[in-house]
Amino acid sequence: MTRADVDPVELAVFQSAVHSIAEEMGAALRRTALSPNIKERRDYSCAVFDSRGRVIAMGDHMPVHLGSMPMSVLAAIEAIEFAPGDIAVLNDPYAGGTHLPDITMVLPVYQVKRDRAAFYVCNRAHHADVGGAHAGSMGPAREIFQEGIRIPPVRIVRAGEIDRDVLSLILLNVRTPREREGDIDSQIGACRVGEQRVHELVEKYGFMRAEALIEELLDYSQRLVRAQLREMPEGEFVAEDWLDDDGVSDEPRRIAVRLRFDPGAGELHADFAGSSAQVEGSVNAVRAITLSACFYVLRCLLPRDAPATAGILRPFTLTTVPGSIVDARPPAPVAGGNVETSQRIVDVLLRALAQAVPERVPAASAGTMSNLTIGGTDPRTGEAFTYYETTAGGMGARPGLDGISGVHTHMTNSLNTPIEALEYAYPFRMIRYAYRDGSGGAGKFRGGDGLIRELELLADAQVTLLADRRRFRPYGLEGGEDGAPGQAVVTQGETGSEKKLPGKTSLRLAKGDRLRIETPGGGGWGKRAR
Amino acid sequence: MRVAIDTGGTFTDCVYLADGRLQAVKVFSTPSDPSRAVMNGLARIGVDVSLELRHGTTVGTNTMLERTGARVAFVTTAGFEDTIAIGRQARASLYDWFAPAPVCLVPRELRFGVPERVSAEGEILRSPTGEELTALVEQVRASGAESVAISLLFSFTNPETECRVEAALGSLGIPVSVSDRILPEFREFERASTTVVNAYLAPRMESYLLQLEKRAKEQQSRARVDVMQSSGGIIAARLGAQEPVRTVLSGPAGGVIGACRVARWAGFERIIGFDMGGTSTDVFLADIAAGGAQLTRESVVGGVPIGLSMLDIHTAGAGGGSIACFDAGGMLRVGPESAGAEPGPICFGSGARATVTDADFLLGRLDAESFLGGGVQLHPERTEQLMCECKGPLATAEEFAAGIVRVVETQMEKAIRVISVERGHDPRAFTLVAFGGCGPLHACSLARSLRIPTVLIPALPGALSAVGILLADTVRDYSRTVMLPGDAIENLQAIFAELEQSAGEEFAAEGLDGTAHRSLDLRYRRQGYELNVEYDAQSPHRSLEAFHALHRRRYGFAQESRPVEIVNLRLRMIAAGESYAAEKRTLVPGNGRTALVTTRKIYFHGKFQESRIYRREALVPGDAIEGPALITEYTSATLLPPGCRARVDGFDNLVIAVGGEVKE
Repeated sequence: MTRADVDPVELAVFQSAVHSIAEEMGAALRRTALSPNIKERRDYSCAVFDSRGRVIAMGDHMPVHLGSMPMSVLAAIEAIEFAPGDIAVLNDPYAGGTHLPDITMVLPVYQVKRDRAAFYVCNRAHHADVGGAHAGSMGPAREIFQEGIRIPPVRIVRAGEIDRDVLSLILLNVRTPREREGDIDSQIGACRVGEQRVHELVEKYGFMRAEALIEELLDYSQRLVRAQLREMPEGEFVAEDWLDDDGVSDEPRRIAVRLRFDPGAGELHADFAGSSAQVEGSVNAVRAITLSACFYVLRCLLPRDAPATAGILRPFTLTTVPGSIVDARPPAPVAGGNVETSQRIVDVLLRALAQAVPERVPAASAGTMSNLTIGGTDPRTGEAFTYYETTAGGMGARPGLDGISGVHTHMTNSLNTPIEALEYAYPFRMIRYAYRDGSGGAGKFRGGDGLIRELELLADAQVTLLADRRRFRPYGLEGGEDGAPGQAVVTQGETGSEKKLPGKTSLRLAKGDRLRIETPGGGGWGKRAR
Repeated sequence: MRVAIDTGGTFTDCVYLADGRLQAVKVFSTPSDPSRAVMNGLARIGVDVSLELRHGTTVGTNTMLERTGARVAFVTTAGFEDTIAIGRQARASLYDWFAPAPVCLVPRELRFGVPERVSAEGEILRSPTGEELTALVEQVRASGAESVAISLLFSFTNPETECRVEAALGSLGIPVSVSDRILPEFREFERASTTVVNAYLAPRMESYLLQLEKRAKEQQSRARVDVMQSSGGIIAARLGAQEPVRTVLSGPAGGVIGACRVARWAGFERIIGFDMGGTSTDVFLADIAAGGAQLTRESVVGGVPIGLSMLDIHTAGAGGGSIACFDAGGMLRVGPESAGAEPGPICFGSGARATVTDADFLLGRLDAESFLGGGVQLHPERTEQLMCECKGPLATAEEFAAGIVRVVETQMEKAIRVISVERGHDPRAFTLVAFGGCGPLHACSLARSLRIPTVLIPALPGALSAVGILLADTVRDYSRTVMLPGDAIENLQAIFAELEQSAGEEFAAEGLDGTAHRSLDLRYRRQGYELNVEYDAQSPHRSLEAFHALHRRRYGFAQESRPVEIVNLRLRMIAAGESYAAEKRTLVPGNGRTALVTTRKIYFHGKFQESRIYRREALVPGDAIEGPALITEYTSATLLPPGCRARVDGFDNLVIAVGGEVKE
């Protein structure tokens, strides 16, 4: 099946070389960024695209970013007439973005004396604040206008020079401008590192050869996916699951999918009809996120070392209803769609997939990123601070293996903020960091346990929680029990009284108050032996 | 007399200089007391008045790979006992739903909390009381721990409480590893993990190195013992015993230094090193013109992160002594379990489980007469019989043996792909430098599957790690974390002078003449990572300029106006190693006829083929040999499959053109 003139070893080396460009961009970003969320937690992603905006390599970063970055590149290409030395910036979920804190940069790579970009390199990083009603920009908003500054695709670098007008407009609208400026510099730098490496690659292979290899790489991805899809049982598999609420009302919100496998053609169709209409609160996902979740699941069906490229989506079609919770329209708020709804979409896809190939699918993992944002003034410096962190839960049990405890699953893969970085950067003191024993669902194979993280505030602050799986627990499979639901508790510093927080809320807490987050366990797999 | 001794799982190699040439002696390792083998080796050499023993060991690596380290108690700030297991929350492979749980060397019942707290600024907020410390000591005692690792939150800002806990636990009489001494840097998980590895290795390495020093001194009261570090420099054994985590890749690091030296003499600048020993295989990639193999501070050994600066070496858990068996699903597996030196492979006479070496022997690839200079009796009938018993569902013992070789070579190929292809390097642009007792046997076949055109088998391939250890510099790193603003750069002289004085005294006390190299770790304020730049004592501000330039080159931007932070002052003290350069001999074209011993059948591609057997010692520069052939020597054997052609270069290395792909 391989093209006659492409040698499989050459293809493997080329694929790894492009992949390492994405990884190197990530390393540059992490090593130069200022905010703990980027430098310690690696809440960023980098990818390389061909001249037509097709992704040819993704770093092993954050799946929710990766699957949706092609839309950023396409939006930038459509909106901007690029010239050499330009870099575009954007975050608008309705024009290539996913939620506002994720700021994306796109750099077109030009060959000498050509007026059309030959490649694009792109990176996306989660900024700990982009303005809006709540510090950290992840609060319970009702319109996107409350969630922070919206940046359509515009040039932040023109002909190699930073556009100060654009930059100052952005910085004036955020709570921690100096940190943002530093992180933006890092993103620009990472783009240039990627550009340099792409130039070296083209120099080594020659442009024509590189183009041939790209085509082959995309075809190869497609062949791998089709080979998997040909082995699937024919038919339709239907599943649903729920979000607890949208943070505004208590009403549960439904995510539903119908998967149709066509093994003869080696194709898959996913239809999300029956999912809730878009909601007032922030758990709306734009279509890019839904596609991103589908991309992730397809990629997981492939062998471990398979490249993640645009070829993976060729045998796949997606249907969503515009104006639904999986295909939101402006001005719906979307901060939680990226982090919470994306996980539920994966849960639903896996539940449907488990009916088709039960021996290949794990039970539900924690299903929430347990997002915590805190903002205020650091009494040590008198400067504003904004903190953002997600906390891992339990992984669902696998057929044949227990789930792993305290690990990020599916659409996220950030690291924790080391306590020694956290207390240096923010007025908090960590009290406890431990496994949450017994939270994993029982079964023949146990779900992984969630985590407990408790911190004390050393300054008054605005605290925002955005979490789910309080009511609807991570499901077990094949008779395995559900994982324990998550919870968050505030202990008042003065009185010692405890108060349980709703999953999605924003409140003022005082110096001395303690916040304890307990994340859900994963579901069990198979009936527990008696 | 300086002698380098590299202890492997199976053999112990000794190398020294005599009459301007490198000499090697190989003896069996004695795992129950590895120092016995060292003494056996020294006895064979016959040591003169001044013994300077330089040691490299795979004891640390093997302990990590085989999970045979101490039962470690982990002591940390109460409330954070699980941090050593939780790690950083990220999963290692993004798209694998069936990835195994990560490794943690400390089971739950061995994690202990101390009620204490230090703030980010180094202020002690809570100290453990005397009773609390007594209770801790009792808990640890009752746990049956053989070693302790202490890593308290923020101990690098104020180590006082760690010292108190250490003092209290000292009464247990087991080794205590303290994070502030092992890796005094922020990020609690990486610091704790490194400290735990130290504790995991400590009992074994400490008694071993001290025993070795004692024995050496018994032989010669003024003997001095040094040990190779994972970073490629030599330190005193006493220091190595206290901080065994620094020597976890001791033997392999010797291999890197040795391979780079030999390859450079032979004119090869870009190499992939392939060191296949008895228990494990190490691979690395080096561009010698660009300074050789890279150092990394993000190593993972046996699945456990280590935050110290080490040579970037990738280890696979299979070697010549690796045991082959069929797993529960009926698949043939090789390693990580090894037959080691005791009982050893079947063919050595006492082992009963099939190993890679047995497979090679059965396929005619080991020479019964010359193997290890005839020092080891090989048992063909026993091997054939037991291999037949182990062959599982396969038809013949030969098929089983060929299967073992194929499985183990696939593992080696994968390891090399990790360091080359996966990092964007095309293996075809490199030369494969194969060494270790088993490397030369498998090198050509491996090179062929990776399409590497040239293989270099150094002179003394079975002892190249020892050669590297012999030639390595003595290196010790000193540092001080200062966290100063960039404009303090003009005022660092005093601190450097202080560092240099104590370093100089330490070297002088050991009779070494060291040269100091000063550098600075700089970053823009509030970044999380530093760049290391040279410190220019004459005009220190040049270091700032160098920082901005390096930042721009490496990360795509720099801002001269942004505040810079001076994080660490670093001083590297180097005492140069043996100044030895191999002598190049004249090539005399020949066909190696005088070295031809016999012909014998060797198994290639599914059948036995008549092959010539040569003695490497009798080959001379300029000789050229066509495969199929086997070139045996004292420390190893090189297999030349059909289609490969070996030539002896002016340094007695074998340079092999693999297949018909490369014209000479």
